[in-house]
Amino acid sequence: MTSSLSTRLDATFKGVELGSGDDDRLAVSIPREAVVPVLTFLKEEGYDYLQLISCVDWIDRGEFELVYLLSFYTEDEVGGDGGKQDVLLKTTVPREQASAPTAIGVFAIAEPHEREIHELYGIHFEGHPRLTPLLLDRDYEIPPFRKDFDTKQYVADVFDRVPPVEEEG
Amino acid sequence: MRELELYFGPQHLGMVGNFSITLNVEGDRILKATANPGYLHRGFEKLMEGRTWIKNFPMVCRINVVEPDHMEMVYAMGVEKLAGIEVPERAQFVRSIYLELARVGSHLFGLWAYANMLGFDTVANWAMYHRDLVLDLFEELTGGRVYHIYIWPGGVRRDFPEGFTDRMVETLHSIGGCVPDYDSTFFNNTLFSERAKGIGVVSREEAVAMGGTGQAIRATGMKYDVRKVDPYAAYDKVAWEVHTREDADAYSRIWIVRDEMIESVHMIFNLIDAMPEGEVYNRIPNPLKWRIPAGETYVRCESSRGELGLYLVSDGGEKPYRVHFRTPSYSHGLTILEKALVGANIADVGNIMISLYVVAPEIDR
Amino acid sequence: MDRNQLMKWIKTPTKMAHKYSLNAVYFCTGCGIIEVPPTITTRWDAERFGVVATATPRHANLFLITGYVSVKTLRAIIRTYEQMPEPKYTVGFGSCTINGGMYWDSYNTINQLDKYIPVDGYIAGCMPRPEAIFIAVTHLWTLIDKDMADGYKRYRKNYGAYRANQEMVLGELEWPPLFPTEIHTNTGEGETDATAATPTMTEREKDDELA
Ligand code: SF4
Repeated sequence: MTSSLSTRLDATFKGVELGSGDDDRLAVSIPREAVVPVLTFLKEEGYDYLQLISCVDWIDRGEFELVYLLSFYTEDEVGGDGGKQDVLLKTTVPREQASAPTAIGVFAIAEPHEREIHELYGIHFEGHPRLTPLLLDRDYEIPPFRKDFDTKQYVADVFDRVPPVEEEG
Repeated sequence: MRELELYFGPQHLGMVGNFSITLNVEGDRILKATANPGYLHRGFEKLMEGRTWIKNFPMVCRINVVEPDHMEMVYAMGVEKLAGIEVPERAQFVRSIYLELARVGSHLFGLWAYANMLGFDTVANWAMYHRDLVLDLFEELTGGRVYHIYIWPGGVRRDFPEGFTDRMVETLHSIGGCVPDYDSTFFNNTLFSERAKGIGVVSREEAVAMGGTGQAIRATGMKYDVRKVDPYAAYDKVAWEVHTREDADAYSRIWIVRDEMIESVHMIFNLIDAMPEGEVYNRIPNPLKWRIPAGETYVRCESSRGELGLYLVSDGGEKPYRVHFRTPSYSHGLTILEKALVGANIADVGNIMISLYVVAPEIDR
Repeated sequence: MDRNQLMKWIKTPTKMAHKYSLNAVYFCTGCGIIEVPPTITTRWDAERFGVVATATPRHANLFLITGYVSVKTLRAIIRTYEQMPEPKYTVGFGSCTINGGMYWDSYNTINQLDKYIPVDGYIAGCMPRPEAIFIAVTHLWTLIDKDMADGYKRYRKNYGAYRANQEMVLGELEWPPLFPTEIHTNTGEGETDATAATPTMTEREKDDELA
């Protein structure tokens, strides 16, 4: 089942790299443009549950890595559909002018995840209907989850600089 | 009729937690709801990147104050998987018992919030009192009432003290003895069913499309529970059942909460009987200089509100490279809630929100 | 009623009334809120001490700030605080309000609460126990007795400085100042002395010079 999934993935899409991932997950690396078609393909394969969209800032390589974790709803105990593996889908986005296609069309739950990544990493999602601030109230020059954002320095610059209100003795 | 924009929360009696929803209403019907989280955002995942693996244990439990224990568990699972640490058999049982106890406490808190919101003050007071009894057990076991920091990579911090299991069984029996009272005053009360039936319906298609887990998905009749689907700790060593209902409304979700609590108590009894002797802790390398091999993993467990996941990346250093929690309230509170509120009555906002078990700190992290 | 306190009731009835009817705003600002439901329900029963939770800040005189304050919450806290009628008392609950607690290096939590609103007392601990709330309440009684719970007076007096601090973090505030922001000499509770409204020196500079 799984091998056929990986072979089918390989056959259908160009530029798909299959990694071993950890023991119970199939790791797939794809180019940025293929995200939506591959997600659609996987959804048709029965992966109807997008657990998480995450983002990792590999500052040394100068790129962000978007990670899509896919699973499926099942009622079977242990192992699900005869050992069907979960999928970990990865794509990279350059740090400069970071942008990626939105996955909302495939999974509705992608909406807040992408909004959060937009806010915390500054990645633009093309076609996302509301990339408004989700969690933060202030503007940060560097989006705060990037590796070059130094929280300690920021705290010293902003919160520690606020003077105490003097009290008469 | 004129359309109005109303702000529901963060300072609002019907709001549990620091969360806010903007409602567009016409009369008292909701046309559009916009969740507005972020009041509790502390940037945990960023802060954890600046602390060593072991120092993060006191941090993670503070992500979700209602149920800190599953946070510890999922982080410990992630660290163990990356570092390849084995957990002794007895520790698995201790962990399961501890987590089920936490689930009972958390469900009682949820019941307090729900009953309080509906105006069942008596039931709310009972639930809070019974939760306190559970907290007393935690205090004896770990020294802390709310935050326990009991689970470590490689096991748990200490074994059960002498006579602890007996006291635990006794307490759980005394709480369980009140179930008929709860039933007659609350669960079988027509006031409750009138108020909750048909409210906040989230169909299975919607729940699946929007990543619903926990009660939200089990109330649609699907037996999806991470403890069964992807077992961890000792959940595959004893027999237990997943409770579901068919109606997908607030009434079903609260009934599932009740059934799960009872199931958890039974499960604790079974686990105690099946618990082997032995060590509860495998030594880990010096935690102050602990480096974990590079790699990435996703681990998950079933918290009392749904699937709690953790995506953890290590670059081989002393600190995590990236931590990302997938919390159940994230999908419940942001997408499902916005959907379920449309067309509802203003008076039911709290009802729907608490029955979906939205816990604000979990969303904001 | 305690007979020993009879004279106090006769002499300062308002003070006694404030002491024994502390209405706390129902606002869950941080994780410390988890200990408040046990405190106000049967097990610990805060009503013994006259503490009850109130729905609206307009009816409240006690503001328990339960834990870390993110920037977004600070805005809500200031608005809530300014809506409360005087006299009002603020108690910071948990070490996060004192110095940032374990989020001292977070980019989104303000570290010291008393830079933004006046605080009458703190409860230390990371999560303080319910008993600590009662100790705080009894302390607050003593402070009220001795006229030392004067946070709201300090707020009025140093409003300019507080507002400046608030604006430093929150940017331009979208509501008008509660009091005149230029600093004036305070002539007792509730009175604004118009003649002293244009000092040549700000209060802060004066104090600096005295020090
Ligand atoms: S002091 Fe501790 S318990 Fe209180 S808000 Fe801060 S972290 Fe939470």
